[in-house]
Amino acid sequence: MSGGAIAFMAISWTFVLSLTAWSFAKLLTDKKHFDPDGIGPESPPEPPHAKKKTK
Amino acid sequence: MAGNAVGLGNFLRFPRQAAANGGGSYMIAYFIALLLLGIPLMWIEWGVGRNGGRYRKGHLPGMFAALWKHPAAKYVGVVGMVVPLGVMIYYTYIESWTLAFAIFSATKDYWGLTTQEGMIGYLRSFQGLTPAGSTPVHASYTPYAFFTVTMLINIYVLSKGISGGIEKLAKIGMPILFLFAIVLAGVVLTLPAQPGVGATPAQGLEFIYAPDFSRLGSPGIWLAAAGQIFFTLSVGMGSLQAYASYLSTKDDIALNGIATAATNETAEVVLGGSIAIPAAVTFFGVAGAMQIAQGGSFDLGFATMPVVFQQIDKTLPIGNLLGVMWFGLLFFAGITSSVSMLTPITAFFREEFGIAREKVAWTLGAVCFSIGMLHVHWLGHGFLDEWDYWVGTFGLVLVAITEVVIFVWIFKPENAWKSIHMGADINIPKIFKFIMTYVTPIYLLVILTWWGKDEALPILLNQRSAGSSSPVTDVDMPFIMISRGILLLFVVVGLILIRMAWKRNGYDDRKGFVEILTNRAEV
Repeated sequence: MSGGAIAFMAISWTFVLSLTAWSFAKLLTDKKHFDPDGIGPESPPEPPHAKKKTK
Repeated sequence: MAGNAVGLGNFLRFPRQAAANGGGSYMIAYFIALLLLGIPLMWIEWGVGRNGGRYRKGHLPGMFAALWKHPAAKYVGVVGMVVPLGVMIYYTYIESWTLAFAIFSATKDYWGLTTQEGMIGYLRSFQGLTPAGSTPVHASYTPYAFFTVTMLINIYVLSKGISGGIEKLAKIGMPILFLFAIVLAGVVLTLPAQPGVGATPAQGLEFIYAPDFSRLGSPGIWLAAAGQIFFTLSVGMGSLQAYASYLSTKDDIALNGIATAATNETAEVVLGGSIAIPAAVTFFGVAGAMQIAQGGSFDLGFATMPVVFQQIDKTLPIGNLLGVMWFGLLFFAGITSSVSMLTPITAFFREEFGIAREKVAWTLGAVCFSIGMLHVHWLGHGFLDEWDYWVGTFGLVLVAITEVVIFVWIFKPENAWKSIHMGADINIPKIFKFIMTYVTPIYLLVILTWWGKDEALPILLNQRSAGSSSPVTDVDMPFIMISRGILLLFVVVGLILIRMAWKRNGYDDRKGFVEILTNRAEV
């Protein structure tokens, strides 16, 4: 295989596999619900480091 | 949802599209279409569907009317019933090929045919397209029989409902298909070079991924990439919306939407790209694979994989069993997709006319069966190609553009964004709000204009046929006109039914529907 083909294949596979791994990791492990009441968020969730600072 | 998205498009249509449209450069256009069209539209369709579910609407006429309090909204939604119905009819026909090849594998019917000519001749014989003067291998009733059985299975599953039918199929079939595809990809990628051909599976991968940047300036690549993204993600078919209408506002659609798209892309790019093309190149060479790929959107897998199974059988005598599993699993993957296509129109009859699911399913089945038989009978006259073009290509973009305009522009971007985030497990990056509002609709409009100018108009004027660049022949012309006439009839009947439904239920277009307090799934 040529270098270009290997590069395209590597980028394509990495992209889709990373996206799948990330989304399933979130689905299976992240129990924290962004909008638990289902009425829509007022504002985006605070990042974890911002919460620590307020404490 | 993933069961609906993963289907024949991943393993049969994608490799052919990639190979025929410039390999690596096609992949660039493909991923741009995924990011700017596929993923945003996935969220939009789930959002449209779930919002419709709040008013107990599982069909696009009702969903659009819930978003846009205007008398025209419900009529615009007719595309969301005609397009999936049209696609389902010919998709089921292709699906019946996988069932047939599963049986042919079990009986070793194609055993001994290992050349390109042999397998193409076998496929054409099954399709009833054996050239004059040659003797067909199959009895003339064979494709009709398989189509009948396939349609009966589809309608039976539909009549049992979503939780009773499709979910069970998807839960069992999808993981098995994934695992089997991984094993099969491993087998194909380690195939030795064949005597007399000299090509290897690595050359097949090179064939798909080698970049040819000169082709990025061709509109064809961008159109083909967008078309594949629509087809593979089941976007523009009304079925994602119908499923999402069963979700409550406490259910996540943001993370599940991206997970569905990602699962489908893994099946397509990683597995779909590693099976049919590398196998075709190994057994028939690059020129042979290209020739088969240009013969038809779905031909490659049917002409190539039987040879792979025969090759495996030489060292491990389970080749026919693998053939049964491969085509059988594709058949089940196809069923989850095709059944979902009838879900919106079933919801329409159930919700607006109060007709029982089983009655709707079998009545629709009778219509689909009758018209599907025309596809089987007139395949050689461009009937299917014409149909595929108007509903399977043009129609999908039309549905997508109407829902983007209504959900994002008319319903307002702020409301759409908030709606998608209801019950969300993730916060979607804000750039996608800009993409949904401006980039996706402009991208769709450009595609629609491009298609209109370069393809739709010449095809409509019969200057070229939908399946090839050659003009429509006098012999094929009546079949093409019947094909268009039936589609037009679908639209007219759909509009009349929508009018009847609104009148029957006394809906006020300006006031909208009354929101229900319980989720549809709980009713």
